[in-house]
Amino acid sequence: MNRRDALRTLGTGFGMLGLANLAASPTAGPMDPRTPHFAPRAKRVIFLFLNGGPSQVDTFDPKPELTRYDGKPVPPEFLSKRKLDNTGNGRLLGSPFSFRPYGRSGLEVSDLFPHLGECIDDVCVVRSMHMDLPAHPQAITQMNSGRLIAGFPSMGSWITYGLGTENQNLPGFIAMCPGMPNVGADLWSSGFLPTAYQGTYVPCDETEPEKMIHDLTNRRIGRDEQRRQMDLVAALNKIDLARRGADPQLEGRIQAMETAFRMQTEALDAFDIGREPETVRQRYGVPNKPPVLDSKKRSATRDGDFARGCLAARRLVERGVRMVQVYFGEDIPWDSHHDILVHRDLARQADRPIAALLQDLKASGLLKDTLVVIGGEFGRTPSVETAGRANVQNGRNHNSRGFTYLLAGGGVKGGIAYGATDEFGFAAVENPVHLHDLHATILHLMGLDHKRLTYRYSGRDFRLTDVAGSVVHPILA
Amino acid sequence: MRSLLFVLTLNAFGADEFFETKIRPVLAKNCYACHATTRMGGLDVSSREGLLKGGEIGPAIVPGRPEDSLLLQSVTHSHERLKMPLGLPRLTDEQISNLADWIKAGAEWPRTAASIPKKTNFTITAEQRGFWSFQPVRKPKIPAVRHAAWARTDIDRLLLQPIEAKGVTLAPPALKRTLLRRAYFDLTGLPPSAEQIEAFERDASPDAFAKVVNQLLDSPRYGERWARYWLDVARYSDDRLESEVDAPYENSFRYRDWVIRAFNEDMPYDRFVKAQIAGDLMGETEKGKYSAGLGFYALRPDTQEDRVDVTGRAFLGLTTGCAQCHNHKFDPIPTTDYYALLGVFASTKNSELPLAADDVVKDYKARAKAVEDKKAEIRDFLYAQAREMGALLASQTARYVTAVRTGEGVEKLDAGTLARWKSYLARERFDHPYLKDWGRDQFDATKFQERVLAVLKERKAVDEENTFRRAEAKKKGPKAAVELTALKAESFYLWRDLFFNDFYGNVFKQEDDGLLYYGPNRGYYESDGTIERFLSGVWKEHLNRLREELAALKSNLPAQYPFLHTIADSDKLKTERVRLGGVEDNQGEEVPRRFLTILAPGLDPQPFTKGAGRLELAEAIADRNNPLTARVMVNRIWTHHFGTGLVRTPSDFGFMGDRPSNAELLDYLAARLVESGWSIKSLHREIMLSSAYRLSSARVAANADLDPDNRLYWRANVRRLDVESLRDSLLAVSNELDLETGGRAQRLTELSNKRRSVYGFVSRRHLDSTLALFDFPNANQTSEKRTVTITPPQQLFFMNGPFVMDRARALAGQAGTVEVLYRRIFGRAPQPAESQLGAQYLTGGKDRLALYAQALLMSNEFAMID
Repeated sequence: MNRRDALRTLGTGFGMLGLANLAASPTAGPMDPRTPHFAPRAKRVIFLFLNGGPSQVDTFDPKPELTRYDGKPVPPEFLSKRKLDNTGNGRLLGSPFSFRPYGRSGLEVSDLFPHLGECIDDVCVVRSMHMDLPAHPQAITQMNSGRLIAGFPSMGSWITYGLGTENQNLPGFIAMCPGMPNVGADLWSSGFLPTAYQGTYVPCDETEPEKMIHDLTNRRIGRDEQRRQMDLVAALNKIDLARRGADPQLEGRIQAMETAFRMQTEALDAFDIGREPETVRQRYGVPNKPPVLDSKKRSATRDGDFARGCLAARRLVERGVRMVQVYFGEDIPWDSHHDILVHRDLARQADRPIAALLQDLKASGLLKDTLVVIGGEFGRTPSVETAGRANVQNGRNHNSRGFTYLLAGGGVKGGIAYGATDEFGFAAVENPVHLHDLHATILHLMGLDHKRLTYRYSGRDFRLTDVAGSVVHPILA
Repeated sequence: MRSLLFVLTLNAFGADEFFETKIRPVLAKNCYACHATTRMGGLDVSSREGLLKGGEIGPAIVPGRPEDSLLLQSVTHSHERLKMPLGLPRLTDEQISNLADWIKAGAEWPRTAASIPKKTNFTITAEQRGFWSFQPVRKPKIPAVRHAAWARTDIDRLLLQPIEAKGVTLAPPALKRTLLRRAYFDLTGLPPSAEQIEAFERDASPDAFAKVVNQLLDSPRYGERWARYWLDVARYSDDRLESEVDAPYENSFRYRDWVIRAFNEDMPYDRFVKAQIAGDLMGETEKGKYSAGLGFYALRPDTQEDRVDVTGRAFLGLTTGCAQCHNHKFDPIPTTDYYALLGVFASTKNSELPLAADDVVKDYKARAKAVEDKKAEIRDFLYAQAREMGALLASQTARYVTAVRTGEGVEKLDAGTLARWKSYLARERFDHPYLKDWGRDQFDATKFQERVLAVLKERKAVDEENTFRRAEAKKKGPKAAVELTALKAESFYLWRDLFFNDFYGNVFKQEDDGLLYYGPNRGYYESDGTIERFLSGVWKEHLNRLREELAALKSNLPAQYPFLHTIADSDKLKTERVRLGGVEDNQGEEVPRRFLTILAPGLDPQPFTKGAGRLELAEAIADRNNPLTARVMVNRIWTHHFGTGLVRTPSDFGFMGDRPSNAELLDYLAARLVESGWSIKSLHREIMLSSAYRLSSARVAANADLDPDNRLYWRANVRRLDVESLRDSLLAVSNELDLETGGRAQRLTELSNKRRSVYGFVSRRHLDSTLALFDFPNANQTSEKRTVTITPPQQLFFMNGPFVMDRARALAGQAGTVEVLYRRIFGRAPQPAESQLGAQYLTGGKDRLALYAQALLMSNEFAMID
C-alpha cells in the first residue's frame, strides 16, 4: 500500500470509510499517526533555524590556520591544492572570538556559545555541510524543501505527510518566528501536498496564545455553554448524515469539530509559556516583560523572542507535535556582511535558549527520541568581504560550500564532530554532507526512507530529496 | 556556433570518428535527458568517468567486457529491472552492436570535445505524436443506449455507454430542492432562498429547470463566481511578492473586473484567451476592452519563466516549464520550444494603459516628481545639519566625558547628549581600544577627543576615495564591479559608536545610531524631531518653509489617474538561446520566437514575424484546430460542475497527466464549445440540462466495487463549499450581503467588509488568514484545482470567529423561531426531530437564539452540498 492509498483508506475512526471518494475526497484523518517504513529513532523534530547564515569559523569550526593567516591573502598554493576557483577578493579574517574545549568530548566551541558549549557532549557537530547556491531566498528555500525554487513541500510537510502526528488536538507541524523570515510562508508550505500538511505559522513575538492562533477562544460564551451548543450541532449532523448516507467528508467534519473543541484548551495551555516557572523562563532568557522596541531600530530580534519560541517548542513536543520549527528572527538576522562582531549580539540571544532546551529535553528523557537540528541556510566565508562595503570591512560573505550544522538527540551520536572543511573553512573537504543528505538522514531517523516517501504531482513522483541524498550513517548512534 | 561545429567536425573525422558518429549521438539522444545534467540514479553517461563510476547500483561499463556492462544489459533489455531507454523505443540492433564494440575496444572517449553537445537533439516519436491529447478533436458518434428514456441529452448517452457496459447502476434523481441548491451554488456561489425553492418545486412545467439555469446565467452573480475559478488559474493577486514592503497594486482590480465581465457577457473563449496574451494588438475600439486582459501577465512575479509556465498550463494543459533545463522528460516538448516561447516574453515588457487624458497623466507625473524632489531636499538638509551638529558635539568630547567622570561643568552641556554619553560609557566592553583606560587615572580626555576628531577626518577621506572609485568604475560600464575602501576596523568601531547613521544605504540592520547623531535615518526620511531642537533662527525658518512647500505640493497632488496593468512589445526584441541545464552560462543554440513544435502544422513551427509574436502565439493557442485549448477549458468547466474532472489533472494533459475517464465525452464537449462560437454559457446550459447533472448523491451499494470513485458519474459528489461560497452564504442567509460590484479590493479580515469574497484582497505576501484556512491557493503560481481539507482550525472559525457569531446574532435579530431560522438558513421547514432539538435547546437558557442560529451555520448541512 503506498502512502496515498493509506491516506485514502485510513479512516476517521468511525463510519464506512472504505468507500473512499477519491479525487474529491479530503484526506480524512490526514494527521492520524501512521506507521513509519521502519523503526524510528526519533519521533519528533525541533528545527532551530538561524536564518541569515551563521559563520562556522566563529562558532563551531575552529580554524587556527585562519588566525595565523589573519590579514593575509589566500595563499595561491591553497587555491590550487583545494581546486577552489573563487574565494573572493578579501584577505583572510581570523575569528575575533576565542575557542576552548568543552565537556568530556573536548569539542571546541567559541565564546559566542558558552552555554551551548556545556551541552556539547550531546551534540553531533556536522562541519562539512554544503548546499547549492549562496543566495538567501534560494538557500533558505532549499534548506526547507530541498529545492531552490518555491512551490515544493517543506520538510515538515513531508514528515507529517509520512507520519501524521501524535496529538490530534494540536497542529502536527508548527513554524514559529518573531515576525517573518526571509521568503516567508513558502518555507512551511505544503506545496503540492494536501494543505492539511501545511505548517501552522505562529508568531513567537506574541506572548498570548490567543494572539498566536486565530479564534482559539470564544470571548462571548463559556465552555459549558459551548459544549451544549456543540452537542446540538452533533445531533443535527447525525440527522443530516442519516439523511444523506455515510460520507467520509461529512464524518470528517464531525470529527474535526470535536478536535477543535478540545484544541481550545490544549493549545491555550501548550503555547502559554507563562505557565512555566519563572526560573525556567530565566534559564531560557525570556524576560518577564518583552522590551519595547524603538521603532527606528530594526533589531534582529527582541531579547526573548527566539527564547520564547524555544520554550514553546519544548512544550509542543512534550504534547506530541511532530515537527516544530523556530526561526531566529525577522528576515535574515545572521547576515553579518559588514561586521562579524554583530554575531555577538545574535549569539547572546541564541545561546541560552538552545542550551536550556537541550538540558530540559535531556532531563525529561525526551531527547532520546526528539531530534534537535540547529543551523542556517549556509555559512560564511573565512575571508573578509570587501566588495561594496564602505563602512567597515570586518564581515564575511555567504558561503554555501562549507558550513556547520548541529544535531542532537533522536538517535544521533553526541559529542562528535563529523566531516571537516579545509584549513581555512572555505569548503567541505572531508565527508561532505549535502543538504539532501541531511534531509535523508532526518527522515531516516524518523523511520522514513527518503526514496520511498513520494507523492505524485504534475505527472511524476516527487520526494523531499529530489533525485539525490544519502543517509549519513556514521553519525547515527 | 560556427566555430564550435567546426571543432566537432574536425574531431569526427579524426581518430575518433567511430565514437563521434556511432556512439556519442546514440548516448546523447537516448540517455542524456536523464543521465547527464540530471544524473538520475546517480548516473552520468556524458563522460567516460561518469560511465566508469556508474550509478547507485554500480559501474555502467566495464571496459573490454560488454557482457558485464550494465549499459549494454539495460539497452538489450537483458537486465531484469533496467530496460533502457525508458519511454523511448529500444535501440536498433546496429546501435547495440556498435555500443558493444566500443566497450570491447576499451570505451575510449575523446578528450577534446565538450562532454555535452551544445546542440540539443530531440526527435518527436510517432508514439508521442499519437498521444491522445495531441489528436484533433473529433465529435464522437452518439451511441445507442438501453436507458434511452433516462437520457435527455447526448452527454447522457455518452456517459451511459460505459455505465451500462460495466453494469453500474445509476443513482436516483436528486430532489428538486437539492438540485436547485446545487445549481445556485454552481452558477452563483450563493444559496437559493426559501421562496425560490418553493417556486421551483411548484413549477411543474418541463422547462422549469431550464428557466432557472437561464436566469442564473443572466445574473451578475454568475460572473463573480466563475471569474474566481479563472483567477485561480491566472494566479491573480492584488500585490506582489518581490517587494520589500507591502505594495498593493492600485489597479489590479481592473483585470479581475474584466474577467468577471467577460464571463457575464459570455465573451467567446477564444477571444478571452487572445485578449490576455495580445489584447493590445486586437484593434480594440473601446479602451481596455481587450487589453485589460493583459493583467494576466502584467500582475505577476516578475520572472519570464513564470510566463512560459503559466501559458502552457493555463491555456494548453502542458507543463512547458519542465523544458527549461532539459527536453521534456515525457512530453514532446524539446527545450528549444521553451526558449522559443521565452523569447516572446523576453521581448515583452510591463506597461500601463492610462484611463485618463494624456495631459492628466503628464500633469500627475510632474506633480508626483515635485513631491519626491521636495522630500529629498528636506532629507538632505536635515542630514547636512545633523552631520554639522555631530562634528560640533565631537569637538566638545573632552568636556562631556569629563563631566560624566567628575560631574564638572554639567550645566553648560546639552542634557540629552550628556545622557547618551553616560549610558555609552557605562558599557562593559568596547569594540575599539580608545576607551580601554576609561575609569582609570591615566585616562586622557583630550587625547580621546583628538582621536574622535581624527576619525571623522578619516571617514571623510574614505568617502571621497569611494566616490572617486565609483565614478571610475562607472566609466567602464553601468554594472562594473567596484572595490571600495573602508575605515580600519578599530577606527570604524569608534566612528560607529559616535557617528553612525544609516545614510549610506540601509546596510546596517543591527546597529543603533551613533550617540552624536540626531538626523533622519533608516528610511525615515522625515526627521523624528531630535535634530530640530538644535535648530534655530534662519535654519529653523528654512526648514519650516521647506515643509510648508512640501505640504502644499502634497495637497496639490491628486490621486493617481486610473490605469490598466498591461504588457507591450519591448523596443528591442530578443531571440533566446537554449540554456542547458537552465544555467545562464551554458548557452546552446539560438531559437527563433515561435510556437510549440508538437502543435505546429507538419511539426514545423514557423518563426513569428510580428513584433514579439504575441498575437501569433495567441492565435495559435486560440485556433479552433488546436487540439488542447478547447479540451482543457471544457474539462475545467466540467470539474467545477461535478467536483472531479474528466481529466483529473486540469492543467496537465501530457503523458504524465491523467487520461480522460471518458474521451468521447471530452471531445464532444470540446467540439460543442467550438461549434457554439466558444460560448461558455452554452456549455453550462448543455451540461446542466443533462440527466447526469440532476442525479442525487445517493450511494448504490452494488457500485461499491465496480466504480467506487464515481469516475463514471453515476451519482453526484458531496462537496465542501469553497471559502468564497462559505463566506458569501453566511452573509446571504443573514441578509447582510453587500452586492456592490467591482472596484478596489478590500481586506476580508475587516469585519465591516460585507461584499462578496471575490472582491476581497488577494495577497502574494501575506495570504488572508480566512482564505488560507479554507484552502485558497497560493497566488504565486497557477492553480489547477483546490485541495479540499477539513481541519480543526477551520472549525474554530465557525465556533469562535466573530465573523460567524456576528452573522448568527444578526439572524437571531431578524428571525425569532426555529421554523423561520430553518427557512432562512436551509430554505426548508425543520423535520420533527429537528424542531424538537431546537425547542429543547432554546428552553435551556435565555438568549440562546443567536447560539442556536450559529449551531445551524456550523452544521454540515450548511457547509456541505450535494
